[in-house]
Amino acid sequence: MKLQPLFALPATLLPVVFAAADPHAAYTEHLDLHPLPDGHLYAGFNFTATTSHAAYEAQHFRYFPRSLAQILQHTRTAELHLRFAFGRWDDESWGARPRGGRREGGTGAELWAWVDGEEDHPEVLEERWGGLVNSLSGLFCASLNFIDGTRTTRPVLSFEPEGTHKHGNEAQLLHGTLPHEVVCTENLTPFLKLLPCQGKAGISSLLDGHKVFDANWQTMAIDVRPLCNAKGEDCALEIQQTVDMVLDVERSMRPSHDPIPRPLPIEQIECDTSKEYHSDDTCYPQAPSGAPGWSLRKVFGQPINGNCDLESADATPNYPITLHVPADHPVELLSSASLPGKEEKMNLGSTIIHYPLPPHPHTFDISLPPHPQPPEPRNPPLLHATRHLTGHGLDPPILTTTLSNPSLSKNLTLTYLDTLPWFLRPYIHTLRLQRLSRACGDSAELQQLFYTPARDRERGSKIELLLHLPAGCTAQLSYGVEKAVLRYAEYPPDANRGFDVAGGIIKILPDSLLDEQVNNDSKREAASYLRTPPLLLPLPTPDFSMPYNVIILTSTVLALGFGSVFNLVVRRFVLVEEVPAAGLPTRLRDAVRALKLRLSSLGGRSGVEGKAGRVAGGTTVAG
Amino acid sequence: MAELEKPAVKPSTAEDPSRKDQASPPPESPAATWTRRCIIIAFWSVVICLGLPHWIWTTSIHRSDLPLETMNSWADGKAHRFQYPLSIRIDTTEKDHESRAALVADLTKKFQQSSDLPLYDINISPGHYSEGFLPEQEKDADLVVYVDNESKSPQQASLRPWAPVLDVQPGHAGPSAASEFIFHEIVRAYADEQRSLSHLMSDSPFVSDKGIALTADQKTKLDARTTRAFKYASMYHLTFSLFSASATPSAWDIDVAMQQYLSPLLRQLSNVSRFTVDTQVQLHAAFSPSIAGPQFDQASGKWHLQKTDLSGFVNAAEWPLNPSIGAGPTINFVLYVPTKDQSPLEIAETGGTSWLIPQWGGVQIYNPSNKQDSALSADDLEAVMLTFADQLTALVGLPPSPPSLTLRLASMTRERTTSLILSASSTLGALSRLTLKLTSIAIPNSVAKSVDETIARLEQACLDLREGRYNNALANARIANDEAEKAFFEPSMVGQVYFPDEHKVAVYVPLLGPVAVPLVMAAVKELLSLRRRKVKST
Repeated sequence: MKLQPLFALPATLLPVVFAAADPHAAYTEHLDLHPLPDGHLYAGFNFTATTSHAAYEAQHFRYFPRSLAQILQHTRTAELHLRFAFGRWDDESWGARPRGGRREGGTGAELWAWVDGEEDHPEVLEERWGGLVNSLSGLFCASLNFIDGTRTTRPVLSFEPEGTHKHGNEAQLLHGTLPHEVVCTENLTPFLKLLPCQGKAGISSLLDGHKVFDANWQTMAIDVRPLCNAKGEDCALEIQQTVDMVLDVERSMRPSHDPIPRPLPIEQIECDTSKEYHSDDTCYPQAPSGAPGWSLRKVFGQPINGNCDLESADATPNYPITLHVPADHPVELLSSASLPGKEEKMNLGSTIIHYPLPPHPHTFDISLPPHPQPPEPRNPPLLHATRHLTGHGLDPPILTTTLSNPSLSKNLTLTYLDTLPWFLRPYIHTLRLQRLSRACGDSAELQQLFYTPARDRERGSKIELLLHLPAGCTAQLSYGVEKAVLRYAEYPPDANRGFDVAGGIIKILPDSLLDEQVNNDSKREAASYLRTPPLLLPLPTPDFSMPYNVIILTSTVLALGFGSVFNLVVRRFVLVEEVPAAGLPTRLRDAVRALKLRLSSLGGRSGVEGKAGRVAGGTTVAG
Repeated sequence: MAELEKPAVKPSTAEDPSRKDQASPPPESPAATWTRRCIIIAFWSVVICLGLPHWIWTTSIHRSDLPLETMNSWADGKAHRFQYPLSIRIDTTEKDHESRAALVADLTKKFQQSSDLPLYDINISPGHYSEGFLPEQEKDADLVVYVDNESKSPQQASLRPWAPVLDVQPGHAGPSAASEFIFHEIVRAYADEQRSLSHLMSDSPFVSDKGIALTADQKTKLDARTTRAFKYASMYHLTFSLFSASATPSAWDIDVAMQQYLSPLLRQLSNVSRFTVDTQVQLHAAFSPSIAGPQFDQASGKWHLQKTDLSGFVNAAEWPLNPSIGAGPTINFVLYVPTKDQSPLEIAETGGTSWLIPQWGGVQIYNPSNKQDSALSADDLEAVMLTFADQLTALVGLPPSPPSLTLRLASMTRERTTSLILSASSTLGALSRLTLKLTSIAIPNSVAKSVDETIARLEQACLDLREGRYNNALANARIANDEAEKAFFEPSMVGQVYFPDEHKVAVYVPLLGPVAVPLVMAAVKELLSLRRRKVKST
C-alpha cells in the first residue's frame, strides 16, 4: 500500500502529547495544507487538548473546556463524537478523504456517544442522552435537541469506542443525526470558544466564519475520549477538535471589499482556440489549468497570528504547519520572525514542508506562486458510494445504494448503516445485493444483517449490514420503502421542501481486524468511514388551512340544511293570491307615491307615467 | 323581511276592509298554531339544554380551586408574627449555686424590662463552666456566655471566631455591674442582626410594631447588602477563572490555594448551603468593546481603569462564563492578569484592584511581579484567594458582624428564613390577585398542588421558627418559596391567552349565525303574535 502521510499524522502526534505529560495537561495544534486539483485547497485544522482524569473529576480545567466537561460529567458521558458538516467531498477528482473519514460527519449534525448506563434501565440512559443533546444544543447553538427517540439509534457494527474504557463500566452507544441542520457561523463561534487561544493566536486565528462557510466542503468535529495506559490506570481525557475544509482558491481570494463575482474583462480570459467557432469576437473560455497562486492571507483573509504554544518550558520546537507541494514548486515565507521550514522529500516527486510558528505578536504567512502543473490528487479512495431514491407518484420508492471497489487487488469488508425516519418504512424482504460487474463473482454477499423495525412516532428503523466486496466489484444494494402519511401537526414548517433522510454510513474494516492473529490493541489499524449524501424525500403535504375551510364549509352546509328544514316546519303555507300585502312594502310604496305626487305638483308635469309604473311593479309579492 | 313578518300581519289583514280585492288566507286552526309553538319551543329547548352546555363544556378552561383566603392572609401578613427565640446559657466559674442563679435571674429580668431586643424571646439558663468547648454543646444553646470571675484582667468581652461563645471577664466589678456588662455585650452581639431583620420586614405587611426605626444611613447600607447577595439556594456553584490578557500565565496552582485558603470557610458555610467548585484558565482574554479600556497615567506610571468601566469589564460575549449545569446559581470569580505592557493596572479613583458585581460574582486584577512566570503558585494566590473569600461571604449574604463566624451563620439563617417566608407570602398574594384579575386563564391542578404545598411548608417553617429550629425553618421556607414560584410561573397558565373566546366564536360564526337568525326570528314572531292575541282578548 502507498504511503499515506496524512493518515499517519494524528498517530505521530499522540506520542508527543504523552511525552509532555507532566500531569497530562497538554495542548497541541496542527494545520495541514494540501493543494488539490481544479484550483482547490484542502486545509485540515486539528486541536488536541488533554487533561488528567483526576483534574477532570476535581473540575480544575486548564486546556480542556469547562463548559463541555461539565456537560459530560453531568450526563455521565464517557466518549463523545459530534459532527457538523456540509458540502460534498469530490473523491473522484480529489482522492481519498482526509483522516480516513473518521473526523467527518454526514451533512447536517451528527452525534454519537458512549453514555454510562445499564441495559436494564433504559429510562436512565434515555434521560442522560436527553440531557446531553439538550445541553450540547445550547452550547453549540444547534438544533441538536431535536435528536429525540425517533432519531436515536443503537448501532451494533458501525462504531467502536476510540478511547480505552474501564472494564465493568458499561457505557452504551447512542447515535443520532440531524440531516436538516444548517451549519453556520453560530456553530463555529462556540467551537472556537472551546480552544485555549480562542482563535486569537495560533492556527485557529485563520478560522473566520465567512471563509469557513464559503468552502465547497467543510466538516467540524469534536471528539472526546478517555485514554488510559495498558493497565487501565493513569487515565487522561482527550479532546480533539477538527475542522477540515476544501476551499475554492479563486473564490476565497475575492477581495473582501468587492465580493460579488464579475466576469473578467475579455483581454484577461484565455480562450479555447480549438473550438471551431473561435474567432475574434467569439471566445470559449478555457478551463483553468495548473495551480493558482495563493497565500494564507489571501485565502483566509488574514495571516496566522503567532503561535499558541502553551508549553513554553518545552525546548523542542513545534512544527504545527504542514504543507504538501510538488517538489519543484517554490514556496515563499512571508514572515520575518519565523524560522524556515523543515523539508521532507516524499516519493512521487512531492515535498512535505513543516513550519514552526513565530511567537505571538508576530504573524506567519506563506505564499505560493501560480504553477502550470496542477497538483496531484491525494491517494485514490478505497470505495465509491452513491445513494438515491427511485420511484415517483404512487410507485413504491426503492432506496438504492451503489458501492464500487475501485481497487484491482484489495478486497473490502464493510458495514453499512442506514437510519430511516419512522415515516419511511423499509420492506426487508425486498433487500438484495445486485452484482453489477463481473469482478464480483460469488463472493460479494451480505454476511450479517441487524435490523430494528420502526415504531410509529416512537423510533426510527435501523438497518445495519456487513458485506463483502471483492476487488473491482460494483454492487447495488436496494430495498423498497413505503411512505407513511403524517398527521396534520407533524409537518415541519416549509413542509413542501420535503424531508431529509440521513445519509448511509459505511465503515471499511481494516485488514488487520479480519486477521485474528493481529487482533491486538496496539497494532490495530483504524477503520475508515464514508458517508453518502442525504436524500430529500417528498411526502404529500396537505393544505394547512384545510381545518378552517372544513369547519366553515361544513358549518355553512349545516346551517343551510337547518334553515330550510326549520322554515318548512314552522312556516304556514297559503296560496299566492291569499298572501296579504306586507306592511312595510305597502307603506314604502305609499310614501314613494306621495313623494312623487308632491314632486309632480312642484314640477307640474309627468306624474301619471311614474304612478302607473310603480303600481305595476308593486303587485308581485312572492308567497 | 316581508316573508318573515307575514304571520304577524296576517290576522290584521283578514279584517282589513281596504284590501277587499285580495283573497285572504283561511283562518289558522288553533291546533296548527299550537303545533308551531311546540316546534319552536322544542328547537329552543334543544339549543338551551343541549347546545349551550355542550358549547360551554367544550370551550371551558380548567380552573382549580385555590385557597384564596389563606393565600391572602399570608400575603397580608396575618398568618404569622415574627419572633425569634434565643436560648442563652450562662456558664460561670462561680462555684456558688446561689450567686449563679442570682446572675441568671438578674439577666432575665433585665431582658424582660428592656426594649433593646424586641424581636427576640430570650431564655437564659445556667450551665457549667468547662474550659474546652465541645461541638455537641453548640446544639444546646444559641449563645454560650462564659463568665470568668477568677480572671484578674480588666473588664473585657470577646466572641470566639469559630464557636457561638462569648467570653466575658467582668473584672473586679460587683455582681450587678457584671450582669449589666453581660447584658450589654449580648445586646451588642444581636443588635446588627435585629436591625437587618426589621429592615427586611419594614417593606412587607409583616412589619411589626415592635420593629426598630432605622436611620437613612443604616437603611442604604442594608439595602446594598441585600442587593449584593444572591437569592438563597441550597446549592451554589463556584467558578474560579483565570483570564490572561496574553499567553502567560497559563496555569495556576488553584487546587492547593483552594485547600489552604478557601476550604475552611466553605466547610463552615456548608451547614447552610452546599458548594461545588470548578476552575478554568483562558488565554488571550480581550476587553469587551463597550468599555473605554485602561488609560496610562503618567504621574503614577500605572494603568488606570475608570470606575464607569467596571460594570462592563467582564466580556460576557467572549469569556466562557456560562453557568454550571445543575440546580443552583453560579458565582463567578474572575482573576484577570493584564498584559506586561498594561501592567500595573488598577482602578483610577481608589487604586484598588478588586470589585464585586452584585448577584454575579467578584473580579480581581492581578498585577504580576516582574518575574513573569508561566504559572501562578499557591503563595502568589494567597491575597487573591482571601479577597475572593471575602467576596464570597458578601455574595452568599453573610452579615459582616458580629465577629464570630458561627453567630454570623446563625444570623444569616434567620435572615434568609425571614426573607424566604416574606417572598413566598408575597408570591402567594400575587398569584391570588392574578387569578382574580385574569378570569380567562387556566389554573391547572399542579398550581393548586403547589399552592397547598407552599402553605403547608410556610406553616411548618413558622412553627420551626417559633421553636428555635432555625435550620429546619430555612429548609422549609426554601421549599415553600420554590413551590410558590413554580405555581406562579406555571407555563401552561399563559397559553390560554393566545386562544381567546373571540377566536372560538369567530371560527364558528358560519354555523352559529345562519342557525341563530331563523330561530330568533321565529321566536320573536311567535311572541309578538302571542302578545297581540292577549291584547285583543282583554
